[in-house]
Amino acid sequence: MAAPHDVRVSSLMNQTLVETVADRLRAIVGTEHVITHPDRLVAYESDGLTAYRVAPRAVVLPETTDQVSKVLSVLHGEGVDVIPRGAGTGLSGGALPTPDGVIVGTARMNRILSIDTKNRLATVQPGLINARLTEATAPYGLYYAPDPSSQSACTLGGNVAENSGGPHCLKYGVTARYVTGLTVVMADGEVVRLGGAGREVAGDLDLVGLFVGSEGCFGIATEIEVRLLPIAEGIRTLLGIFDSMEAAGHAVTDIMASGLMPAAVEIVDHATIVAVEASVFAAGYPTDAGAALVIEFDGTEAGLDADADRAEQCCLAAGAREVRRATSEEERLGLWKGRKKAFGAMGRIAPDLLVQDATVPRTRLPEVLARIAEIGEEYDLKIANVFHAGDGNLHPNILFDRQNPDELDRVEKASREIMELCVSVGGTITGEHGVGVDKRGYMPLVHNAVELEMLRRVRWVFDPHGNLNPGKVVP
Amino acid sequence: MTLLERFRGAVSGVAAHDSFEAVGRLALGEPPSLTASPRSVEDVAAVMGWAAEERLGVLPLGRGSEVRPVPDGPFIVLETSGLSGIDEYQPADLTITAGAGATFASVDDALRENGQWAPFDPPRARQRSMGGFVSTADHSPLWAGYGALKNHVLGATVVTGDGRILRLGGKVVKNVAGYDLLRPVVGGRGRLGVVASVCLRAFPVPAEERVLVVKGDSALDLIERALAVGVAPVLPVSIVVAGPLMTLEGRSAMVLRLHGAGSTVDADQATIEQHLGSSSDVFDGASGTAQSLLEEIRDFGGREACRVELSVLPSRVGEVLRAAGAAGLRSLVIDTYAGRIRAAADRLDPTDVDALRLAAEEAGGALRVLDWAGSDRPSDTPCRAAEVRLSERLVSIFDPGGVLWPTRS
Repeated sequence: MAAPHDVRVSSLMNQTLVETVADRLRAIVGTEHVITHPDRLVAYESDGLTAYRVAPRAVVLPETTDQVSKVLSVLHGEGVDVIPRGAGTGLSGGALPTPDGVIVGTARMNRILSIDTKNRLATVQPGLINARLTEATAPYGLYYAPDPSSQSACTLGGNVAENSGGPHCLKYGVTARYVTGLTVVMADGEVVRLGGAGREVAGDLDLVGLFVGSEGCFGIATEIEVRLLPIAEGIRTLLGIFDSMEAAGHAVTDIMASGLMPAAVEIVDHATIVAVEASVFAAGYPTDAGAALVIEFDGTEAGLDADADRAEQCCLAAGAREVRRATSEEERLGLWKGRKKAFGAMGRIAPDLLVQDATVPRTRLPEVLARIAEIGEEYDLKIANVFHAGDGNLHPNILFDRQNPDELDRVEKASREIMELCVSVGGTITGEHGVGVDKRGYMPLVHNAVELEMLRRVRWVFDPHGNLNPGKVVP
Repeated sequence: MTLLERFRGAVSGVAAHDSFEAVGRLALGEPPSLTASPRSVEDVAAVMGWAAEERLGVLPLGRGSEVRPVPDGPFIVLETSGLSGIDEYQPADLTITAGAGATFASVDDALRENGQWAPFDPPRARQRSMGGFVSTADHSPLWAGYGALKNHVLGATVVTGDGRILRLGGKVVKNVAGYDLLRPVVGGRGRLGVVASVCLRAFPVPAEERVLVVKGDSALDLIERALAVGVAPVLPVSIVVAGPLMTLEGRSAMVLRLHGAGSTVDADQATIEQHLGSSSDVFDGASGTAQSLLEEIRDFGGREACRVELSVLPSRVGEVLRAAGAAGLRSLVIDTYAGRIRAAADRLDPTDVDALRLAAEEAGGALRVLDWAGSDRPSDTPCRAAEVRLSERLVSIFDPGGVLWPTRS
């Protein structure tokens, strides 16, 4: 698949200039932290969206805000494209390089700078892996709520860039809710501080909220202040087994309408169950089931059993053939296993996987899922669904082989039909993975020309020359 | 040709008049040049486009409850009462969309008919229009449990200063399709555009609300105990210290609100009382006393001529309050979990408020003057230079003619 970004001609086309710039970058971050050898650049050709691959001219790995500032100042002065990159787990091509661009990776900026237990705050560098933060704060009875499925690998900086969600965002909200302040290096190397806990009444415009989700186009966040939550006293986890996706969808609607507030409501469909059970991640889900529904409640221990009972009743009333309930942490992890390992299991049944991401109003889930199945049949493609059902965030996963051009063409057409379908019922083209390069072509489905032009202009507020992550988000 | 005649010639179908009667807490000084009453988002766009061409300021007016200080230069009023319908409500999706002129009360009442509500409780909430409610996004005492309003505004239709219509966000809970332009609009006090309609996330009404009250002689006496609740294993949906309170015959109090099933709030209450080392007065949230108390806290400072608001890290609240006491501010509402303080008095010395602002800034916080009687209004804590620069650039693309926010003195 050809990379869909604009191929911008920057001054790095000249190889001599590349070496000159690389030498200046080495002087800032150290020789070993600037990568220019083609063999080593291969690892940076794509992020989690492997269908698009472009080798950058160089990768630079700074360690401090000051180094990021100096690096960006050099690259800005030379008019070089800058592609910020965390762990490269993104699924929309947000970290896809441009042919003459330089990746600024945050892998070495992985420290927790402070944990303030009195105010339930932590300040971290952008390269910190999401799960490491909760591991560090758990001894104080605190945790960081946003939990993308890739949380054992993805970074906080990437989460900020994408405004990442996760299964438990149903109850607790996405990344933007937890970021209180940022230190940002702008495109020209200027270091600015935005927001900060305690400064809420200073100023009217929420620049922190605007920066979160800007997909690396506004600046590089080098210090991230986040709010922590107290760890819940108890957890109850249920697994509902259904004969059909439609029945599972009705159970979700009933649970949410009943006044319950689950922490997570997740669905895997028949195709996913079969893939998981055939893999090393087998979780004991029945392979003849149409769908499996994971429901989790957390909070005060005293009320949890009653909530779980009510959710179980909703499942049974919607036609669940069986509802399992975890009685230990080990069992809880077992119930989650089929959901958490779904993407890994699919690698076994197809060489390539396009993880789609769209959100629809929850009540439209049953009809949308039925139509997605039809689209799969029409294009002769296998589509497996794993998704955050509680907030209507779908992940139809299209299995394919990118060596097969005809199949690749059908994948693109089916993807567009799925996006058009989701928008037509009042949804949107991405709920948590971001636009990147993958969904840039779908942006006119949800934004008219006036809105797209406003998005471009807002980008210029932060990066007037357009050097930061060019070719992303806005077509 | 008069201005009104020019308006009627240029903007057909939108009602307008050149008389004006003040409403609510509105204090305009000079009357507006005319008042326009659009009935659709397209009408709003037409009015904004015309005002931009005429270089007239535009003051969007819902219920007039939060417009201060007086506008600067000639301006028109764009009243939103013609945009007062509930446009879409799908209870099973927990979302509701309403026009900017709809009152928060009408939205909340519609939700409650279906066992849902909007858990936001800023001052005079029920009287506010949805447009003003979203544009100001004032702090709510329910912040600990439900977070800030900006996290729950799913979408809005906004008209820019030159009449462009932007449909921002949507009606789904998760949406990252493009930069989040909705964020700076919520709480942006109208600087980026006129909010014409709003889609809000709704929540199920909790099975039970319980209000725990611990009385004290002054707010300062109760601060340490309230901060202790903030780190207890159980998190109330609201932790507020306030006083003096008429409902409690002039005493101050720490007021905690618990939401959930009966068995949950029983357990939460027991845990909190154990953590505090004492029992509390307990009220059913629906009782008359609890309602009076919660309304008094919510609308606190509404009668006083001078009001200031501070934000500070929760652990630094005590030291800032001591400075507030020195400044003569003894009527206080403090959300100790959020570190937000509202203080009010009939008269204040601006030098004392400056000292309070400095104390807040010393503690890493900030102060904003909400109401001030007299011409010697003290300064707010300024934004950092880079934030000002970015904000001004942002405003310039939403409002190239500078017609919005004519109260920016």
